[in-house]
Amino acid sequence: MAATTDTEHEEHTGAAASRPSAARRRPGPIAMAVSVFGELLITAGLVLGLFVAYSLWWTNVVADRAAGKQADKVRDDWAHGRGGPGALDTKNGIGFLHVPAMKNGEVLVEKGTSNKILNDGVAGYYTDPVKAVLPMSGKTGNFSLAAHRDGHGAKFHNIDKIKKGDPIVFETKDKWYVYKVYDILPETSRFNVKVLSQVPKESGRKKPGHYITLTTCTPVYTSTYRYIVWGELERVEKVNADRTPPKELRS
Amino acid sequence: MGLVPWYDGRDGMYGWIWRHLPGNTWVKALISLALVVAVVYVLFQYVFPWAEPLLPFNDVTVDNQ
Repeated sequence: MAATTDTEHEEHTGAAASRPSAARRRPGPIAMAVSVFGELLITAGLVLGLFVAYSLWWTNVVADRAAGKQADKVRDDWAHGRGGPGALDTKNGIGFLHVPAMKNGEVLVEKGTSNKILNDGVAGYYTDPVKAVLPMSGKTGNFSLAAHRDGHGAKFHNIDKIKKGDPIVFETKDKWYVYKVYDILPETSRFNVKVLSQVPKESGRKKPGHYITLTTCTPVYTSTYRYIVWGELERVEKVNADRTPPKELRS
Repeated sequence: MGLVPWYDGRDGMYGWIWRHLPGNTWVKALISLALVVAVVYVLFQYVFPWAEPLLPFNDVTVDNQ
């Protein structure tokens, strides 16, 4: 500020006033070090605060924008007869996941579970370490998915709101796949890849079937454990001309 | 004067920056604001996206690693 000239002026006005101001201008090396350290701490605090804002708010803004754009493209392709289960064009997303219990509308599903994919605010189906079996293949197996719990769209944030018996609906170009949740594992090790097995034995199922598995991290804001939800295919509905959703999504 | 070049023994690095900005108080305030915006932009656009995968907050998949 304009303090430089002010203090200089003070020095000339009287000896009594100049004493404290002179002392303030030449603090000892320890005082200086403490002052610099303090400013660095304040700076670090601000940067960390900004990082929290970035993680929990800004990444959602960016991801929702990206997801919206990609979802529009898939809907557009479907409307114009491009893509779909026959061609298995998996580049832009294969369909939409609807979980009414999570109250987050539709989630685009794309191939892969790398950060690059999931950071766009979509759910990804596993290609590694266990390859997911896609529902439109018609084969028995496990349709395993992952999405972010916080930040980057936080598409599975409310996964803990899902209860046994809740519907999970997967929408493709011409079919609605209606799953029903039959088991939940609220906490498991992040190395527990067995939850992705084609027959997920930990859920109590022993025979091959059409399963769906949702995975995300838990508790919220951390990545210590994984939260798992298992569902089983109940029925498949054909999409009509108006794309009327199945009754599970209408209530 | 001080132990470090940006410290003259009175009001730290932010004070040093403030005193080296040109113009009167309003101009200085405006430039400061622009600097803050620039720093936030660099952090959000480059630093945080780089740092995020290195921090253990956002892994959601089960894997073998």
